[in-house]
Amino acid sequence: MRNRITVRTFVDNLPWLLLVSLVAIFTSINPRFVGPISLGNLFSAAAPLLCLSLGATFVIVTGSIDLSVGAIVSASCVIYGLTFPELGNWSLLAAVSFGFVAGSLNGFVFIRLKIPSFMVTLAAAALWKSMALIMVGGGAKGIPLPLWKGLRWSEASLGVVPILFVISLAVFAAYYFIQSKTALGRAIFAVGASERAARMFGLKVNSAKFWAFALSGVGSALAGAIYSIELKTSLATVGDPVTLLAIAAVVIGGTPLTGGRGSVLRTLLGALLVVIIQNGMNTGAVDPYWQQIVFGAFTIVAVYLNSERGGRTLIVK
Amino acid sequence: MEDVLFRINNLGKEYPGTVALAGVDLDVRRGEIIGLVGENGAGKSTLLRIISCVEQPTSGTMEMHGRPFSGRNLLEANHMGVGMVFQEQSLMKNLSVAQNIYFGREKSFRRFFLVNWRKMHASGLAVLASLGLDNISPSSKVLELDFAARQMVEIAKVLNIVGEKKNGCLILLDEPTSVLNDGEIRKLFEKMRLITEQGNSIIFVSHRLSEVIEISDRIYVFKDGRRTALVDKKDANENLLYEKMVGRGSSGEYFKVNSQTEPGDDTVLEVRNLGLKGFFKDVSFRVRKGEVVGICGVVGSGKEEVCSVLCGDDRADAGQMLLDGTERIFSDPSEALNAGILSVPKERREEGIIGVLSVAENISLSSMKAISRHAVVSGRERTNRAMEWIRKLNIKTSGPKVSVDTLSGGNAQKVVFARVISGENRIVILNHPTRGVDVGAKEEIYQLIREITEKGIGVVLLGDTLDETISLSSRLLVMKDGLIAAEMESPRDNKPQQIDVVRYMM
Amino acid sequence: MATQDNNSTGRGEPTSQSVTAEFSERIAAESVKNRIMQLGPLLVMVVLTVAMSIFVPGFFGFINLVSVLQQVATPLVLAMGLTFVLLLGSIDLSLEGVMGFAGSIVALLVMNSKNSMDLGVLGILIAITAGTLFGVVSGVLHTRLKIPSFMVTFGMGSAITGFGVLSYRGIPASVKDQMFARIASGTFLDLPLLTWFALVLFLITLVIERYTAFGRHLYAIGENESMVRASGINVDRIKVIVFAWSALCSSIAGVFGAIKLNIGEVIISNGFLFSTITAVVVGGTSLVGGKGGVGQSLVGVIIVVIIQDSMILLGVNSYVQPAVQGLIVVAAVALTVARSKKLIFK
Repeated sequence: MRNRITVRTFVDNLPWLLLVSLVAIFTSINPRFVGPISLGNLFSAAAPLLCLSLGATFVIVTGSIDLSVGAIVSASCVIYGLTFPELGNWSLLAAVSFGFVAGSLNGFVFIRLKIPSFMVTLAAAALWKSMALIMVGGGAKGIPLPLWKGLRWSEASLGVVPILFVISLAVFAAYYFIQSKTALGRAIFAVGASERAARMFGLKVNSAKFWAFALSGVGSALAGAIYSIELKTSLATVGDPVTLLAIAAVVIGGTPLTGGRGSVLRTLLGALLVVIIQNGMNTGAVDPYWQQIVFGAFTIVAVYLNSERGGRTLIVK
Repeated sequence: MEDVLFRINNLGKEYPGTVALAGVDLDVRRGEIIGLVGENGAGKSTLLRIISCVEQPTSGTMEMHGRPFSGRNLLEANHMGVGMVFQEQSLMKNLSVAQNIYFGREKSFRRFFLVNWRKMHASGLAVLASLGLDNISPSSKVLELDFAARQMVEIAKVLNIVGEKKNGCLILLDEPTSVLNDGEIRKLFEKMRLITEQGNSIIFVSHRLSEVIEISDRIYVFKDGRRTALVDKKDANENLLYEKMVGRGSSGEYFKVNSQTEPGDDTVLEVRNLGLKGFFKDVSFRVRKGEVVGICGVVGSGKEEVCSVLCGDDRADAGQMLLDGTERIFSDPSEALNAGILSVPKERREEGIIGVLSVAENISLSSMKAISRHAVVSGRERTNRAMEWIRKLNIKTSGPKVSVDTLSGGNAQKVVFARVISGENRIVILNHPTRGVDVGAKEEIYQLIREITEKGIGVVLLGDTLDETISLSSRLLVMKDGLIAAEMESPRDNKPQQIDVVRYMM
Repeated sequence: MATQDNNSTGRGEPTSQSVTAEFSERIAAESVKNRIMQLGPLLVMVVLTVAMSIFVPGFFGFINLVSVLQQVATPLVLAMGLTFVLLLGSIDLSLEGVMGFAGSIVALLVMNSKNSMDLGVLGILIAITAGTLFGVVSGVLHTRLKIPSFMVTFGMGSAITGFGVLSYRGIPASVKDQMFARIASGTFLDLPLLTWFALVLFLITLVIERYTAFGRHLYAIGENESMVRASGINVDRIKVIVFAWSALCSSIAGVFGAIKLNIGEVIISNGFLFSTITAVVVGGTSLVGGKGGVGQSLVGVIIVVIIQDSMILLGVNSYVQPAVQGLIVVAAVALTVARSKKLIFK
């Protein structure tokens, strides 16, 4: 019994330990790792990842999964880029509205038609990916050079912290508020921990699930917009690898797939870890395809470490 | 007596906090049908689970064919000649009858990996024919069979498994008649006699006493985990069995009968001709202010489903529910909560608490508005209120922030009560409020129920035992086969006798 | 009868039949609905064929028939693997990864543009074995670590794709082996050889499903896993075999891809995961497990291919394909899923 508790505590604190030791290792290899340029790059990369994994966290806390985050990122990246010439910075609103609609659609189909979430979101992913590809006519479409001055604000920074990362921190704060200070947030955790009990408690189970998906859509859309701003391009394939990264960030942070536990705070940690590992592999000139293998493996290991063990009769499909 | 097939000596089973069985002796002779009767929770099901090795006894021994009998699981019990026909059917509905009978034992029909279905169907046919079940085709899917046929296939399967090697096996039947109609029950009894004529024995559990008396050679009566009587068929009559099942009444003091409130005149909840297809129909009653309406009935009488409809978990498909005179239909428990109805659910671990969340969180979740200001949840308010209820209900916990999983059954149940009461609901549905709770906590809960009614809240109660339901309620509804069989007043100075209530239940 | 008690009002003999009768009525209604559901996909296939023949120019004709049958080959092979996984109630999202991986390495093992390998048939066997091993790993991770299959296979899928790309490091190998070209263009009785292979695999799978105990156990696990465990059957072993089988089929599909396109690249599998799930589900195999089968999947594959083929004939933008499949799969799942309020879906 005591043994199990020690393991539990160790696993709970693993993300912190990992973060600290990784920073220490990379700094000892390359002292400029904690320098302003390197940190700036790190935060820039973390900004979109944080936004999209925050939303994914709520879905995972309800015990479901959102495999459409990548496609929503792609589609909103395209929407932002294509509407920018006309709407200017208001295109952010267009992208986020799209994200809300896409997320709501996931939520609605999931709760009304009772289709497993992985299936609903996989189908939605196909839909939005198609839309994004059709909108840009295949690959990518740059934001015209003369308009770039409208995006200059995004290059500002507070010290070493780029403004885009500040924005994503604001999003983090908003999601943290929802998680801990609203009835919705508490309902999301209750539903994830025990849907049956949440129902008997008189909680609005369906509404909690719906909003989890809607908020996931919004977070992904913000991420898509940030990619568009950073790359100054509508790139319909930008979201392809990020679904895995988002799930990796959530589970490496320590939120289990079984639902009811975890926190967006952990996801902040997880997103930073993912970015640092990515960064480390990039500087080590590791083939980018190794990243896919590494994060695939990390995700499985993290899911295993987070899961409650001991239930031998547990049936997992 | 050398014709004893199976014998149980001084068997006991304890769960943390409760004694399920104590000092049980039982013997089954070859070719005999043994009836087991008793109230819900008397220990019949536990005994069957122990005999079929699904659970292990904490004391005592069993022997079969004169040799010691024990096993780690159902499969081992099967190998030793004991088979159990489960209440919830264990057949694979998407496979054929023969495939079910030989499930996991296909080896004897296999050649080069391929199974000879024709051969399997032929032996399936023989198995069914030996029970006279000529009308069931071994190649039809279980899905296509009616309940009675499924039950017979299940029996045929179990009989075939345990009878494979030995002659003389023991079949356990747990409530096999609850889903059957009269004609089907006749047929089942014929088959049971056929099985025993072939040298096997049967242990039969049913709530319907007339059936038990008709089919059994000897009847064991259980109460509170003990054997209270062994009656021979020739001596058995329903009155005798009732008496032995019920035992003597308990003290009114324990149930705080003296503080039972006089219900007010205002009706808070009225139910008219409520029905849920296949479970109950034509259920009508009123709940007045400060009244405890108890619903009695055996498992499958429809009382559980009435309870689910009242708290919004199931949606009735007939009849009306009136709250303070206005008609309401709930399609979700959250709507019932809005109207002021909340339940203490039956399965505490799955429905009543959320184990990984804290005590404070559990108490607050059904009344989020009370701890929020402008839709912002106040953590301090939540903790304060939790502290208040922890004190009021004397909940033993190291603090409001610990997870409910760490609490004992009784204290966890008090957390459920705190959640249900703190929301100022007008109607509270108590579904087995003292299940799995130790004696001390039970008494506190009885006191609490009196206090709730004192405040004018209407209560619908499904008690853990008959005794409890009668003692706590001011009015009783007795349900049988989905209908209300009787309604009786139960004032504090003139409580109905258990035996009179049981008569309507069975 | 006994009415001596103080204050009771008996409500007469209850008509006990009624509630029990209502219960059996419910069961009967369910089984009728089941039967209709079983015939649905077949009907859809016939209606689609007729409709497309009337409305889509060039659909009705021998050339297009052969073309449809050619397009059936790869999805049919994939569907054979996925059907077994779905019967268990699990899912295999690594199908595209394994297919791309096997297609990539088979091109490197036979005579090709990148290296001096020339293993011929042995190369094909090695590629398929390697792909299958990934399935074994997925199955073991799923059963041993008790991680939901969608997560294991999602993670494994990305990792395997990574291995696939790493095998050729940027520039994919084109196949020089003449055998591949011969198979790609070869026909027997006017039907492409690959289609014949796929049909043989279909028959093998059908036999496994219908005539082995293993096949029956798959259905039983999907229906009621705990009962199967209680019957003393090694469920974990069956699951590992099924995931290996699915990977085996995906690997064969990968070899098909390399044969058809003459190149070994991970993107040969793009879009196949989704179209395969669509085909299997549209055929009538439920995501919950225990229902459907290989025969149904054949019908599903034909439906999906007919739609694809018609869209190509009508000149619809190829990016629309997955979106249409997405809508179809949602509709199909929605029609087959039991929608009780208390049922919990994650």
